[in-house]
Amino acid sequence: MQRNGVFARLTLVLVASTVLVACSSHKNAGTTANSTTSPKCGAGTGQKATGEPIKLGAIATKQPGTDFTDIPNMAKAFFDCVNDNGGINGRPIQYIIETEQTDPGQVASLAKKLVESDKVLGIVGNTSIIECAVNHSYYEQQGFYIIDSGIAPECYSTPNSAAVNMGPRYSVDGATQYLLRQGAKKLVLDQSNVPGTGYIEGGFLLIAKDAGIPTESLKDNVPIQDANSVALKLVQAAGKDGGVVLNFTPPEALKILQAAQQQGLQDRVKWACSTPCNTDFLSNALGPQWNGKLGVNAELNLTTATGPDSELYRAVQKRYAPNIALGSFSQMGFVEASIAVKALMSVSGDFTVTSVNEAIRNIKDFKTDILCKPWYYGTASLHIPNNTDRTVVPQDGKMVEKEGCFAISDVDPAIAQVRTAESAG
Amino acid sequence: MPSWQDFQPFIVTGLALGGVYSLSGVGMVVLYRTTGVLNLAFGAVGAMGAFIAWSLINTLSWPAALAYLACVGFGAAISLLYGMLTGPSLAGRDPLVKAAATIGLALMLLGAMSWIWSDKARSMVLPTTNWQYSVGEVQINWTQIIALALGVFVTLATAAFLRRTGLGTAMRALANDREITAALGVPVRRVEATTWLVSGALAGGAGLLLSNLVGLDAATLTFLVISSLAAALIARLRSLVVTLLAGVVIGLVNAMATPIFSISSYRDMTPFVLAAVALLFLARHQQISFARRSR
Amino acid sequence: MRVTRPRIRVRHPATAVVLLLVVLLAMPQALSTYWIDVLTAVAIYSVVALGLGLLMGRVGLVSLGQIAVLALGAWVAARLDFATSIPFPLVLLIAGTITMVLGTLVGLPALRLSGLYLALITLMLAGAITVVLTTTNFPNGGPGFLGHTESSFGNPAVRRPGIAGGDAAYFRYTVIVAALMFTLVFWHVHSRPGRAWAAIRQSEPAALAAGVNITTYKLWAWALASFVTGVAGGLLAGSVGKLYTYQFPTRDSIILLAVVLMGGIYNLWGAVVAGALMKLLPALLDNWGLPPDLLIILFGAGVLQVLLTAPGGLAGQVPKDLARLGQRLATLSGRRAPEGEAP
Repeated sequence: MQRNGVFARLTLVLVASTVLVACSSHKNAGTTANSTTSPKCGAGTGQKATGEPIKLGAIATKQPGTDFTDIPNMAKAFFDCVNDNGGINGRPIQYIIETEQTDPGQVASLAKKLVESDKVLGIVGNTSIIECAVNHSYYEQQGFYIIDSGIAPECYSTPNSAAVNMGPRYSVDGATQYLLRQGAKKLVLDQSNVPGTGYIEGGFLLIAKDAGIPTESLKDNVPIQDANSVALKLVQAAGKDGGVVLNFTPPEALKILQAAQQQGLQDRVKWACSTPCNTDFLSNALGPQWNGKLGVNAELNLTTATGPDSELYRAVQKRYAPNIALGSFSQMGFVEASIAVKALMSVSGDFTVTSVNEAIRNIKDFKTDILCKPWYYGTASLHIPNNTDRTVVPQDGKMVEKEGCFAISDVDPAIAQVRTAESAG
Repeated sequence: MPSWQDFQPFIVTGLALGGVYSLSGVGMVVLYRTTGVLNLAFGAVGAMGAFIAWSLINTLSWPAALAYLACVGFGAAISLLYGMLTGPSLAGRDPLVKAAATIGLALMLLGAMSWIWSDKARSMVLPTTNWQYSVGEVQINWTQIIALALGVFVTLATAAFLRRTGLGTAMRALANDREITAALGVPVRRVEATTWLVSGALAGGAGLLLSNLVGLDAATLTFLVISSLAAALIARLRSLVVTLLAGVVIGLVNAMATPIFSISSYRDMTPFVLAAVALLFLARHQQISFARRSR
Repeated sequence: MRVTRPRIRVRHPATAVVLLLVVLLAMPQALSTYWIDVLTAVAIYSVVALGLGLLMGRVGLVSLGQIAVLALGAWVAARLDFATSIPFPLVLLIAGTITMVLGTLVGLPALRLSGLYLALITLMLAGAITVVLTTTNFPNGGPGFLGHTESSFGNPAVRRPGIAGGDAAYFRYTVIVAALMFTLVFWHVHSRPGRAWAAIRQSEPAALAAGVNITTYKLWAWALASFVTGVAGGLLAGSVGKLYTYQFPTRDSIILLAVVLMGGIYNLWGAVVAGALMKLLPALLDNWGLPPDLLIILFGAGVLQVLLTAPGGLAGQVPKDLARLGQRLATLSGRRAPEGEAP
């Protein structure tokens, strides 16, 4: 038993010392937020909101390999700012963020926790690999209209979900269109072998077929262990004057791109990537050999854009969430929170599940310089409000705009459906 | 079916991948031969060392060489600590129990890594990766060569060491039966300590190389050990040379299957299928009863 | 895994029944849907832990691939559920049986290997199954043998039994099926197979000399463990409705080993503790705002603690501690003379 005690104590010491090392390195990495001017959000009164909180909820994936919590965390930062500026008619927003580990049972039960136990009035900021698929029926039953950053197909094909991004399928569409404009003679799509690949490749295949370009659609298991073989396979499949579209999370895309570069393959074909690649971190890690050579579909504007909303975004980040990186994730969180606040402000009378979700559903013509076109919800049977994109390329450690806002091709039937609905009303 | 021309570059990437599997496999078999412990935490130890090196370089601005030394040192230190604390209590137990205990260590390290370095995309680029040269259509870099060469070196050096030197013989005796070895007057604690120290250093070094070749990701590096285990199993945890060759073969088969699109998505099964087949083939003459205690 | 004579005693069968009644009747009233869902998962994974605990505690075999077996059971159940209108209990039975058959097919050659090799080969096979499942995916109402469709427009969920559609009702259903599985294993342990397994674990040569057919009994244990795990897979399919490969990572097989060891392999209650460690503890941690990574560290430390010092795990240790406490109190109050500890 004495040995047991010694062992326990030594373990504690080891863990403690490791934590100390890590903490000291974290301290150097973080920046202290000492902004003298507090940003004005929401009502902009500069007065803290007191009063009965208005509860909102969110569910995001957080597990080794996938962490989307930047999105709801940034939304919370914006809500904090709004709460410091008078809240919603004097009432603060209480934001409950639940994290899940892609276990459908857990995801389903977390939605029930938010709705039935925590009694949230609205759900904003969901970002999860499977959440829309698992929970959309539940939300339809309960009358919740979700504002999310969608990933699963159901986020874009069911009535109770509207996303500020456009999801993997339409982002891949955008990247495909970019490569076609670059003159690719054959197109190869490679994506991570996770559920939903058939849905994602759908648009890619239709658009290429419509342009008369041959295609190859491939998948790779993640995490990738042999990036060299993968990069080689893609270049061979694309052939001369070919183009490769990647749909992976940033670490995996980075592996493939670095392997391609280490084998001198970055000039052999034209490269494009769906929106997850749109981070300065990736541009930094890629280095100058990739300047201008990777076309990344950007669902949101550059984080360095001028414009009042972009400036507010940066100010809120600096003051309320300095540890969250500037990038498309935090931009999405910011936009979703802004939309939610606008909806809440428009509620007259009591704040109930019905009134809040009605207000969310009635959002129309929400303009922001972070998105190409005004955002809306509405009563259609599916929502793809963000269907206009940009293309950015890495340049000296940053991402810069190469193509301004362009419409995602309506060869993709859902896009056509959405455009019709938009022009009708 | 792709042409032979198209297959050729995959032979090169296959050898590089094989080097990855061999290095970890050989590292595990070396420790097993000398302490009787199959260290399933081999990958986790190396991964944590790599993360520490990354932090030292990127947030504390240490010079790279010192950080790499710290990584190797960490591997050695934590393995030594583990070996010393658990060695005596697990000495007489089944190899299965000893291996299961290392699972405990692996989980602790994995949890610590996830907690401390929460998941962001990181990459570890060793300077040797920038030294490249071409073989036909493919460019290979020095990190890949070092990985393969290190595996070969460790195989040959350990084989010679275990057979020729006094310390090596003591280690083999220790793995066989700790009590009797101690009774014969061999300084068991010291020999054990040396073994764990060296094996840990190797794990740290392997972790550094693998973090560059495969990616600096806690879960990937920790569970890479499962694929490397396949190479070790094909060698029945005995022959270092067979482990090395098995690792290379697994890497080659895996890479060569890549351009064949019909089976490409199944190629990650290669280590598992080969190991299962090899094991079952080798066991075909054994009866279910009196299954021998594994050595 | 060798230890001296295990204590296979159900001290108070009445306790078990009372506990079961409390769980079935009181809990759904007292707890919110979220916690009921969590407890449903606890019940399901207790059955999985039961299978592994049976293998490890009674026969001394370690399988590192039980989560892959669970995935197979879930796959079969989902496929049957979508393709036919067989009633749910029968789906569970068939899923369990098919899983048992597959498990036995694997066990026939694999059981020739000794402890460490067997564990490793199960890990290898589990890895292979996981890769295959990543490509074939799970049935979701689509066509063909694989029954998977990539359509995005809201696929149906695995249907639940008619009497247990809601979450609270399904929880009760799951607990009852789990109790049946526990009873099945308990009955095995207390009759001839159990005695044969105990003999095998004590000493194989002696068992052989006593006329025990080692091959048959090892396979029997293997088949039984596969059966209960397959049934658990069916319950899981009904519980979550939509199945993904994400739910069955190889990492979970390792964690299962850890919690089964911590729960205790010599006592059937250990399986319940294991299920709670695996599914309840993460939910509690999330509730208290603590990171789930701490749990992995805890499990690692738990494995080491059990293997180094307390082979009986929590289920073995806690009753002993409570018994010791009880004896101390009895001695203090003068009702009993101090006794030596129970072995």
